[in-house]
Amino acid sequence: MISFNNVSCTFGDDAGIENATFDIEPGEFVCIIGPTGAGKTTFLKLIYMDIFPEEGTVRVDKYNSDKIKKRNIPMLRRKVGMVFQDFELLKDRSVFDNIAIPLHVLGVGMKMVKEEVENVLERLGILNRRDHLPSQLSGGEQQIVSLARALVKNPLVILADEPTGNLDPAASLKVIKLLEEINRDGTAVLMATHNFSLVKDRGYRFMQIVDGAVHT
Amino acid sequence: MIDRFLYLVSEGIRSLWRTKTTALATISAIGIAASFVVFSAVVGENISGIIQIAREQYEFQVFFSKDVDNIRAAELVDQIGAIKGIMSASLITKEEAADIFQREFGENIFDLLEENPLPPGSVLKLQQPKNRKIEVNPIIKQIELVEGVDEVRYQERLISLIERYYEGFFAAVTALAAAILFGTVILISNTIRLSIYARQDLIRILKLVGATDRFVRFPFMIEGILEGFFGSLLAAAVSYGFVEGSNYFLSLFTQYRLVWQFQVVALLVGVIVFFSFVGSMRAVRKFL
Repeated sequence: MISFNNVSCTFGDDAGIENATFDIEPGEFVCIIGPTGAGKTTFLKLIYMDIFPEEGTVRVDKYNSDKIKKRNIPMLRRKVGMVFQDFELLKDRSVFDNIAIPLHVLGVGMKMVKEEVENVLERLGILNRRDHLPSQLSGGEQQIVSLARALVKNPLVILADEPTGNLDPAASLKVIKLLEEINRDGTAVLMATHNFSLVKDRGYRFMQIVDGAVHT
Repeated sequence: MIDRFLYLVSEGIRSLWRTKTTALATISAIGIAASFVVFSAVVGENISGIIQIAREQYEFQVFFSKDVDNIRAAELVDQIGAIKGIMSASLITKEEAADIFQREFGENIFDLLEENPLPPGSVLKLQQPKNRKIEVNPIIKQIELVEGVDEVRYQERLISLIERYYEGFFAAVTALAAAILFGTVILISNTIRLSIYARQDLIRILKLVGATDRFVRFPFMIEGILEGFFGSLLAAAVSYGFVEGSNYFLSLFTQYRLVWQFQVVALLVGVIVFFSFVGSMRAVRKFL
């Protein structure tokens, strides 16, 4: 589903990635670990094609980084759900409206949007927060809303960039367990974290980024 | 498809509401500036009506040479009537010229001179182009070139004065409209740019979840068009006030009243909305 073939890339303050080659299969739970600035964000950005490799190719589903046209990048992103450390929620919109955004982008009808959003809210256990604003939620709840937004469009893979970075240990564990549950239902999960203690002994496939080198 | 369209329109309205202070300033600026254009257009349309009436009074008298008889005169009238710009040409025979003389001076020319020395002639009316100056001189030159024509008389000063003012007024209104419409494009473009900067979070999220450029741009286009639309409605309202105020002023010394020209106002609303669309397009292409 995701293939890196001799990929080298640098981005911002990240150390970047050097000559990485590996595959990620559908339904896998992969944990990318490494210290801050090691290149984890670069890794994820390459997958949703926010940046492109300087060398090598990245393939996600049927999209190749060296062949993809600009107009097809949104189509790729519709198959990828993203979760960020700082949640990236719209502060002036309710939980419902935040989660509905990807469905509106897909052109789903209003009635179906309501149904789908409420399903995912129920599944993640925050239906009672439906009409709250993000500022009325705890950090953990905001991250669950972010997760719901990623999940509502039934993606092939969820990319989670330090999803527990701003959360207390209890909320972190809850988010991890939700990601595992989502993974058990068949969605691949790629989670970048520098908090190894949180994810060790949970049976994930680990990829470690050290000085740009990806160890699988 | 309709759901997506409605969502995007609602996003445009929401975006307008979020930047309401800037939007209000933009709408007011467009409204007040464009009200001068709308008012000028309404006045122009009214003046145009007056000028058309004045033009209907334009009369050209053509005198033929003394040796031209009535039969030849009729041929010359046909020839002159075919000249471009002439609406009608009627023959004045020698006898009719004598009748006119008697009506105007109260004397019979035969009693005075025992003969009729008055030449036959013709009275011409011109075609009246709308919203365009009548070019008199080329027509006169063509008439003078016709063999048998001795003299052409017309109210040269009056006609040239009316036509010059008519042309000058429309040139001024056109220049004012062009400047204000250009200003509208820039104003809307800048407002949308501010709106784009204010909505960076939304734009980023939309792009991350797979929105196309068109999807991201559409609400900003709606926002700009709505600003133009409300601005033009304000302009219509303000100019209506100008018309009513002008009528009150006119009522102090004349019976003439300006007539509110709904079609002209509707056309200008459409034009302003179109230029708002252009301004929005400019901003989203440049900054998104």
